[in-house]
Amino acid sequence: MPTRVAWHRAAVPLIVAVAFIAAWSLGIALTGVSRALLPSPTAVLGAGLELVEGGELARHVRVSALRLLIGFLLSVALALPIAMLFARLRGLRAVLEPPLEFLRQVPPLAMMPLLILWLGIGEAQKVGIITLACFFPVFLGTLGGIAQCDRRLIEVGQVAGLSKGAILCRIVMPSALPSTVVGLRIALGQGWRALVGAELVASSAGLGYMIEDAQNLARTDIVIVGVLVIGTLGLASDWAFRRAIAATWPWVKVDGGDGDA
Amino acid sequence: MPSCRGLGKTFRIDGRNVVALRDVDLDLPRASISVFVGPSGCGKTTLLRLLAGLEQPTSGVILRDGAEPSQAAAERTRVGYVFQEPRLMPWLSVARNVGFNLEGRLPKVEIATRVADILSIMGLTTFASARPDQLSGGMASRVGLARALVSNPDLLLLDEPFAALDAMTRRRLQAELVALWQRLSPTIVFVTHDVEEAALLADTVYRMESGAIVARYPNSIPRPRDATDAGIVALRRAILAGLEEKAEPTSVQPSTLKRGTAS
Repeated sequence: MPTRVAWHRAAVPLIVAVAFIAAWSLGIALTGVSRALLPSPTAVLGAGLELVEGGELARHVRVSALRLLIGFLLSVALALPIAMLFARLRGLRAVLEPPLEFLRQVPPLAMMPLLILWLGIGEAQKVGIITLACFFPVFLGTLGGIAQCDRRLIEVGQVAGLSKGAILCRIVMPSALPSTVVGLRIALGQGWRALVGAELVASSAGLGYMIEDAQNLARTDIVIVGVLVIGTLGLASDWAFRRAIAATWPWVKVDGGDGDA
Repeated sequence: MPSCRGLGKTFRIDGRNVVALRDVDLDLPRASISVFVGPSGCGKTTLLRLLAGLEQPTSGVILRDGAEPSQAAAERTRVGYVFQEPRLMPWLSVARNVGFNLEGRLPKVEIATRVADILSIMGLTTFASARPDQLSGGMASRVGLARALVSNPDLLLLDEPFAALDAMTRRRLQAELVALWQRLSPTIVFVTHDVEEAALLADTVYRMESGAIVARYPNSIPRPRDATDAGIVALRRAILAGLEEKAEPTSVQPSTLKRGTAS
């Protein structure tokens, strides 16, 4: 019964959200916690509407989304070719793998002071942080997918007389796609996390800046609005990404074959 | 056409040499069907993989038209290989899987024409835009066969292509293979465990044991053949008698082995 299943799928998150808001309101009423520490859901809603009406929220969202998009695309543009080169050139892999592994252990936000020194306090530093955060999930996802490529499919290419490069492009990379897609989804989530961190310092716009500014002004309601907007945008971008993958490559099961239909 | 002289293949497993193929001399007449039977691990698949260039011999030589091929890769372009499993690219449609070996070699229009022709011959036109995971086992096997045939190969190698199929589908695909062979005239090398299949398809059946060809059974029974034909029954009996007489499998499966080293 697909209609009933679809209804459940839509209703369950809604019920959870309503229950969460009810528990939130009830918790404030029962504990009498200060509104400065935890504003009520209605206060948060009011702050959110205020930000929407003034156009402030849209501006911050636009700035953050653009930074995320550029950082994410840059990371993909770097990670995919490097993973392909690693698959083809063992010597290059031997040289580059240790420094990349080293860099992978360092949290992107730990690089922020250096990036500010090297790239300044403008957009380049923020995009740089996001690129660093997104790079490794895409890179490792692709590399893992390449390693798991079915040897039997490669033999099909060998019998067809394909060159090693053609086998990589026409068989190995498409075969690695499911793993690459997992990496891309993780990267998108990591990008949102890193974005807020990047915007907390030396920033004049963006959701991270909005949260930081609200904290300085003791506007906890706006802080919560910021958190909710980031979470919602993260969910929405992941949903849109999954839909795009399902439409473009229907054979890639992005949800274990459940939500990709 | 291909011939082998003193062909041998030894794999190195856990520090010891395992002989998969030894001293095979073979001539494959042009536009003939040669079928190889024998117990598991007797070297049938290894022979096929050597002919396809997927493995390098550790001794002997494979000749094309009596001469050593100067460019193995170039030679391979005229080789079609149908594997035990269809090995279709899951990200490509049936039509693009069939045309896979032609992409980048021929103009798109010509590829489309050739693919449409072979799909029509194989009764796959309706499934041209289907994905591999939407096909039945029989359909997927046909697509694998169509992919091997679309480049009009001189040499068509088939490694137990119908082994996983039900008896009816197998029978239908055997008939389709013979029809295609009569139409396109490739030289076919077919590996099977099924003695009846061997007798029905072959111009010559070769029986292998422990990496060597131990018997050769010419088969001039006119086509179309039926499993109940007296000649087919007699040939089956002869092959089976040979197989039952001595069957000492070496338990060597090339796909699980490391690259070979000279023995």
